[in-house]
Amino acid sequence: MHFAMPPRKTSRPPPYARNQGSIIAIPPALKNLLRRDKLRLVVVGILGFLGIVWLLGRRGGNSQGVAWTAAHIPKVAIGSGAPVVIVTVIDPKADPSWTQRIKSNREEYAKRHGYLTFFPTDDQYPLRGSPATWSRVPAIRHAMTLYPGSTFFWYLDATALIMTPSLAIHTHLLTPARLESLMITNAPVVPPDSVIKTFSNLKGDRIDFVVTQDKEGLAPSSFVIRNGEWAKYFLDAWFDPIYRSYNFQKAESHALEHIVQWHGTILAKLALVPQNMLNAYASGPASLKDGQFKEGNLVATFPGCDKDARDCAKEQQTYFDVLERTKT
Amino acid sequence: MSRSPSPQPGGWSSPGLNTSYDTGGRSSPFANGSTSHNVTWASAQARSAEVKGYNGITPRGQGFFGKHFRRLSTSLPFSYGEKEKLGRGRYQGNKFMQLLNRVGYTLWRLRRSLGVLLFVVLSFIIFYVTPTALHRMYRRSSMFGGGSKYVIILAANQGGGVMEWKGPREWAIERDSVKNKKKYTKKWGYDLEIVDMSTKKRYAHEWRESWEKVDTIRNAMRKYPHAEWFWWLDTNTFIMEPTYSLQQHIFKRLQHITYRDINVYNPLNITHPLTDEYLDPETRSAVGDGKVDSINMLIPQDCGGFNMGSFMVRRSVWTDRLLDIWWDPVGYEQKHMEWEHKEQDAFEYMYQNQPWIRPHVAFIQQRQIMSFPPGACGDQGDDPNIHYQEQDRDFLVNMAGCEWGRDCWAEMYNYRQLSNRLNRNPWEKFKDGISDFFKKSKKDEKKKS
Repeated sequence: MHFAMPPRKTSRPPPYARNQGSIIAIPPALKNLLRRDKLRLVVVGILGFLGIVWLLGRRGGNSQGVAWTAAHIPKVAIGSGAPVVIVTVIDPKADPSWTQRIKSNREEYAKRHGYLTFFPTDDQYPLRGSPATWSRVPAIRHAMTLYPGSTFFWYLDATALIMTPSLAIHTHLLTPARLESLMITNAPVVPPDSVIKTFSNLKGDRIDFVVTQDKEGLAPSSFVIRNGEWAKYFLDAWFDPIYRSYNFQKAESHALEHIVQWHGTILAKLALVPQNMLNAYASGPASLKDGQFKEGNLVATFPGCDKDARDCAKEQQTYFDVLERTKT
Repeated sequence: MSRSPSPQPGGWSSPGLNTSYDTGGRSSPFANGSTSHNVTWASAQARSAEVKGYNGITPRGQGFFGKHFRRLSTSLPFSYGEKEKLGRGRYQGNKFMQLLNRVGYTLWRLRRSLGVLLFVVLSFIIFYVTPTALHRMYRRSSMFGGGSKYVIILAANQGGGVMEWKGPREWAIERDSVKNKKKYTKKWGYDLEIVDMSTKKRYAHEWRESWEKVDTIRNAMRKYPHAEWFWWLDTNTFIMEPTYSLQQHIFKRLQHITYRDINVYNPLNITHPLTDEYLDPETRSAVGDGKVDSINMLIPQDCGGFNMGSFMVRRSVWTDRLLDIWWDPVGYEQKHMEWEHKEQDAFEYMYQNQPWIRPHVAFIQQRQIMSFPPGACGDQGDDPNIHYQEQDRDFLVNMAGCEWGRDCWAEMYNYRQLSNRLNRNPWEKFKDGISDFFKKSKKDEKKKS
């Protein structure tokens, strides 16, 4: 129906009609209670009631047995120490002169940028019969124990040389902005066709583990770990005896690929960077795209030069010469 | 009702001059001296009806009290009539009446403060007794009781599914167990998550054979995003003391009822603390950092080591990592034949071999969270660290292993009855006391005869 005019309203509103404005109809008895002079009384009553409930809730907590108390463990703030600690595990059976040159290569670089170095031997950790290459994992944990104030721990294999000492790794690679621009997202963790791909929405400041990929898979000959609780978890999980005894074909590097692919809390902290940023190969199965060492790359690695009948000192000789020349 | 000008023929001679003597004996306030021209009896009555809310005149004193008040009041002992008879307005009844009078007078004088007291008492009754149970809301709210911070995950159907069909006893056990937890969680405002743990082929490529605790806890964490602690319970458990809240019973007393150093009770002979020099001091410490807020997991130990029939985890990054690493295909492939307790054995293994776990685990004294019935752990059933003690009113009974040669249903039934008996309210105790008294006297008579 449609009316041409709205119905006429009375021009004289009923003088004392009930107030229809309020939605909830308050009974007069309650309204009387809420009058100003009684309001104080009501508020006091409610407060008193809540107070009693609270007091009753607080009772209990009776003590049995001896309460333990906090242990006194000195806490060092992460970031208060040197920004980077370089960890290289040394084989005590290797040629001492070569070992010395490797050590001084790292020490010179560290001195230049205010970093620290740590050179444990591969027989000082309880490996329980697993290959000596596993010792890199407790070595990093050890460095974290010794230098708890440092932020980054860079494991650099003894087969690698720092070729461009002027590049400071913590500004060149490890700042959140640099990491975000460099990291390879949505790429298979193990090339060429792993189902598990790196996350594509990671923030640079959430990254705790920076690693590279060569032609065959993850290359744990040079990687960086950020100090913290996650690092302990990651290293301990990696070092689990079950993986060491599992007879992975390539020991720790296959174990690493395994835990990265099966455990999301690890993959979520991992950043894959182009191989020549951290771990360029001078020889060996480099990543086809950007793995080969070129002049100006931070690191040159000679994977496997310490194995079989190969001689690292001989292979690295020309590179040592280049380093000597640039120094003078 | 018409509000139009007077329909009477002729109308009024002039405004304000008409008197109301012809309108039934009741003068209208609107009729005389009104400035309005259009007032009729009908309209005035209508308006006064609007004001009063009813039509016509209601005679006073029509109700029961109106009619009989006087009669009632004169028959009361305090009436004036009697007072006057007894002279000079002074009532000289017996002492008791005087006392009553004085009490009444005092109460009347103190009516304000008494009103507050009465109000508080009434509020208590409303808070605890009414079916809407305001106290549940109070206990649940994160501001006051904090009950929404706790979730109980109850595993139902364990080992069921394709392996074996449930009989009536199993159904009854499950029903009792679920009912018990439902009541408890409702009382304290916690959340209850009942999960189906039957063996099913849930994963496309493998039989994980109920290594699913981990996934279940994770799902619960996703489902209750504001909860902090998650308490895992097996089916064969019974909460004996529903009046204990988790906050009061466990979380306020953590420093008293837990131990961080496993050497306090170490049935598995786990080497602790770790001594490898490459580990940091906190990991090497026997008690972690020794602070309450570093506890992310609470587990009890029975005579055979860790017991995952009743344990708690807290939402934290540590827990995320633990739940992530707990199930691993390599571990599963190598050990699933050997680890017959599945997650429990896997966790024991991880506790021993992955140092990062130790600083965040606290062991809770077994009887605080999970007492054993006499059948479990030793034949005597009287170990004060393990077995249920009625006089201590233990919180929960875990009938662990009752499916191996013990009667689960009988145990469940007995503990349910015991719990009900221990938690009778005073009225029930009184009634039972009377019936016991008569039974006893009957027995005595029988003995005599």
